[in-house]
Amino acid sequence: MWRYLGRKFTIYVLTFFLAVTIDWVIPRFMPGNPVQTMLSRAALRAEAVEVMRGYYLKAFGLDVPIWQQYLNFWKAVFRGDLGISVYLFPKPVMKVIAEAIPYTLAILVPAILLSWLAGNKFGAFAARRKWLDSTLLPLGYFLTATPYMWLGILLAWGFGVALGWFPIAGGYSFAMTPHFSWKFVLDLLWHWFLPFASLFLVMFGGWAIGMRNMIIYELEADYAQYLESLGAPRRLIRNYAFHNALLPQITGLALQMGTIAAGAVVTETVFSYPGIGSLIVQAIQNQDYFLIQGCFLFIIIGVLLANFLVDIAYLIVDPRTRRGMLGET
Amino acid sequence: MKAQKNRTKNEFLYFAWRNKKLRIGIFILLFFILLAIVGPYLTPYDPWAYVGPPASGPSQKFWFGTTMFGQDVFSQFVHGLRPVFLVGAFGGGLATLIGTVIGFIAGYRGGWIDEILNTLTNVVLVIPTLALLLILAAYLGVRSFFIQAVFIGCTAWPWTARAVRAQTMSLKAREFVDLARISGMRATKIILTEIAPNMLSYLVMVFILQFGGAILNAATLDFIGLGPTRGISLGLMMQIALLWGALPLGMWWWFIPPGLTIALLVGALYITNVGLDEVFNPKLRGI
Amino acid sequence: MRGKWWVVLGIVALLASLAMGQEFPRAETLYISGAAWGPPTDWNPFITWSKANTSGTIGLIYEPLFFYDPLKDELIPWLAEYGEWKSDQLFEVKLREGLTWQDGTPLTAKDVVFTFELGKKYPAVWYSPMWDYLDSVVNVGDYHVEFSFKRTPLYQEFVNNLYNIAIVPKHIWETRTEEEITSGANENPIGSGSYKYYAHGPDRNVYIRNEDWWGKKILGLNPAPKYIVEIRFATNNLALGALLKGEIDLSNNFLPGIATLAQLGYVKTYLPEPPYMLSANTAVLFLNTTKKPMDDPAFRKALAYAINVDAIIERAFAGLVAKASPTALLPHLAKYVDEELVASLGFTYNPTKAKEILAAAGYKDLDGDGLVEAPDGSKIYLEVTCPFGWTDWMEAIRVISESAQAVGINVVHRYPDYGAWNTALVTGTFDMTLNNWASLSNTPWTVYNLLFNHPIRDIMGSGNFGRYNNPEVFALVDELAATPPWDEQGMKAICFKIQEILLTDLPMIPLWYNGLWAQYVEFTWTNFPGAYEGRPHWLPCTWAGYWQMGGLHTLCELKPAK
Repeated sequence: MWRYLGRKFTIYVLTFFLAVTIDWVIPRFMPGNPVQTMLSRAALRAEAVEVMRGYYLKAFGLDVPIWQQYLNFWKAVFRGDLGISVYLFPKPVMKVIAEAIPYTLAILVPAILLSWLAGNKFGAFAARRKWLDSTLLPLGYFLTATPYMWLGILLAWGFGVALGWFPIAGGYSFAMTPHFSWKFVLDLLWHWFLPFASLFLVMFGGWAIGMRNMIIYELEADYAQYLESLGAPRRLIRNYAFHNALLPQITGLALQMGTIAAGAVVTETVFSYPGIGSLIVQAIQNQDYFLIQGCFLFIIIGVLLANFLVDIAYLIVDPRTRRGMLGET
Repeated sequence: MKAQKNRTKNEFLYFAWRNKKLRIGIFILLFFILLAIVGPYLTPYDPWAYVGPPASGPSQKFWFGTTMFGQDVFSQFVHGLRPVFLVGAFGGGLATLIGTVIGFIAGYRGGWIDEILNTLTNVVLVIPTLALLLILAAYLGVRSFFIQAVFIGCTAWPWTARAVRAQTMSLKAREFVDLARISGMRATKIILTEIAPNMLSYLVMVFILQFGGAILNAATLDFIGLGPTRGISLGLMMQIALLWGALPLGMWWWFIPPGLTIALLVGALYITNVGLDEVFNPKLRGI
Repeated sequence: MRGKWWVVLGIVALLASLAMGQEFPRAETLYISGAAWGPPTDWNPFITWSKANTSGTIGLIYEPLFFYDPLKDELIPWLAEYGEWKSDQLFEVKLREGLTWQDGTPLTAKDVVFTFELGKKYPAVWYSPMWDYLDSVVNVGDYHVEFSFKRTPLYQEFVNNLYNIAIVPKHIWETRTEEEITSGANENPIGSGSYKYYAHGPDRNVYIRNEDWWGKKILGLNPAPKYIVEIRFATNNLALGALLKGEIDLSNNFLPGIATLAQLGYVKTYLPEPPYMLSANTAVLFLNTTKKPMDDPAFRKALAYAINVDAIIERAFAGLVAKASPTALLPHLAKYVDEELVASLGFTYNPTKAKEILAAAGYKDLDGDGLVEAPDGSKIYLEVTCPFGWTDWMEAIRVISESAQAVGINVVHRYPDYGAWNTALVTGTFDMTLNNWASLSNTPWTVYNLLFNHPIRDIMGSGNFGRYNNPEVFALVDELAATPPWDEQGMKAICFKIQEILLTDLPMIPLWYNGLWAQYVEFTWTNFPGAYEGRPHWLPCTWAGYWQMGGLHTLCELKPAK
């Protein structure tokens, strides 16, 4: 089990190293020069431009040799100093991201957990129940095949525009400033619901289908047939099957992290939800090196963390690795 | 020997035809493929030309209505369908190819090669591909469907590599592979003649899943403005519709068809996949 | 027992905090949108390029010496009671008495002097070029400021600056470093204006009325809304939805469907008939004159005749804009247009003539592909660009490329990302592109300074992107800048000469006037401006730089609906 964890850890460290390096490298080769972009917006006269350029180059750390920039970048990453946003000058990237992260987590974490739990329960329940299976299976396939943004657009159109039940943009109402009151909390939830729901639904379809197929595999497996021939109660067999089918579903969760992150980006864009997803799209449109780097870094950390948690969950659920933990193998 | 082969083939076709999921899936796919091929000839309009009254709903003249500028949505739709298949087939195919090759090598060779490839796979698996695609796509100022497909192919392979590796490892332990090895066959040949054919059905299914994944990935990229800078695709249609206020104006004919089609297409691919699975694995054929 | 007390206390504290709600009463709040294109990040009046996102910084919070009314083309004394040219090289401003900052400190001539001298001290302050001709700015007592010049001032620029430079409080800014002044966020700004900063979020700015504003008593003005919530919608479609539902009152977004909605009476606009909108600036097609064949005036002229501006107006703007004068001047500056010249040299959409000009200049289709080749036989391939996501312009350049193709010029449209577009623009690597960076102003010099910005440098950040090099026109623009505003005849004479060069050489092609997008619904507030009876006449605009050109006056005219 330590070997297992050690390997995983090595992979995470390597990934992190690689990702941070990519993060550093790529924006530096992007077309367009952000300092130039900003200065031309300022529309200053030539002398002033030179003064400002020097100032920005220094502020952004672009005035030292390239290897030192790389080292500085690592130092800065560990210090949590991600530079100053160009697009949101003079705001530090860290601050920009810190303001956006709660929104992203608020829709992502519940959507992932709830869809996984509900999807698995439901998939297991539907498997081999003819009526449910044949009506809801197509729906599940349809949901999981739906592009995230399209479901978002559909929900926004149906519940936001046509029925008018939910707002279709923003994190909270324009009539309020953030403060702690039931009214404000309700308002937050009201704006949160549709983006959450569209993420939830797409993922739910995926998990339900996955679980349903797994259960059918398991029910056809030799041990299940054997138990059935022994006359074991159907419930018991199903429980075994469910337990075994959970493992690949946990692995699946880890595999899906990247796609889910992508789904969050487009969903936030559809609903103009003020999270990391909307931020990264704006950062790209505005060629903001530092903001892109920061967002990417946080997505990587988030995905790595999620993977790590999934590993732990796997260790807890999987009897084989658990045995390994006790030193039986 | 030959007779037996024929029988398995017939048996396969028989079960394939009897499988409802497979029938539905393939029917939907064929329908859209046909539409992508003949569609552009069904409409007299150029997808970008201003041909009708702006923002009008479906009518006899404009089957899917018109955009904010009076462009024909139907002709954008059928023209946009082609790149979907293109990116899906090419991107999905590339991802399958890379994943399969890496999976074969890692699984068959084992040892330190496996160790390295496995680590690589795991690293690429964990790096959020969208973030990479975002940055790469933004890096290239002018982008084409082909480049998009290459991007997707190069980032979507890891799970395939993992799965193929596991399959290869289990096949490697089988007698006929041992036999081939003892008879002095080269590794490449063993993989190609002994292992790959035994996994063919599996690889077909992998390709189908990759196909669907590539379509979804491409739509995502198009939607956030990192799609091709020329041409039209279903994802671009959704992006433009949203940008131009189709939502508050209630111009559903503009954003429903592209998304619905992607969902139907990818759904059909998934269902086909399950259908194939049932055909290949008799146990799953069910009640 | 003790544990219980804590629980009770906690609940009480929770309830207490819940009671302190913060919600703006609808009847006292004006919701607006259309100015900001990004999240608010600073309230520093010296970082001019980010002011779109906190447009109220100048006009609502900080105030200039004068306001300007483009509809009447006159300066409105604001902090200044009057300004007077004592001689050609001495300008005197008399401040109003009884001005105060929002923290209660009196606003005096010392603050004005301090503000102007920042430009002398720091070249990074945007108005520092004034000090090329300014000799000194000194206060005489608390209410008089004297501007003296060491040489003939650039009158046009000087007057323009009078209503754009925001006066800042000396007692707050004098302790700040250069860095804080030129690039600090200036959170919790203290100005002199009618509104104070109240709150902000990534997609909004909130201002609250300054109940102690000096203007109430002295000017007799009282802005109606207690709160102003300025919203940034991620896409214009959201603004349209919110406007129709009455969630916002005034939208300064470009909303293409507005013409229909205005006809049906759902929204109100300044003009009751097409184009519905006032004009805000001129959209100009810049041609890169350093590249072949755009270095050939005949080719440029052919292109000008080829472009179907009416199609652009119809398709890209749904009829919301007007065709531009070929002289690029906005309608309120029409008196500076040489009508005779326009009649003889002005271009119009005429593809036949475009083809004739091309043929006469030696551009012929040699290989039979329907596209002309340059006189030297080389193929022509040009790209017309605008940033991705600028939807109206994206449609416009599509029309331009189609128009050009129709007369046989191989032009294709491209939408690079903003950064890439901007870099190509200022470094001169583009072929042809749209630009409209001369804002509405009191002088024809503004737009000619954009078109013929000089000298030619490696980076052309503020105009003449096509690097048209003609010392004659440069001299004329300089001469115009140094003409006193009261010498209208002199200004006209120079403008006419500039226009003659513009129209014969066509180094860039003025196409249409971008609109001063403004649409309102009157569910909560009424009496928005309009060009008809019984309506106030002001620019109903909340963009940066427009609060002092009618935006604030619009607020003062509003009346509650009930």
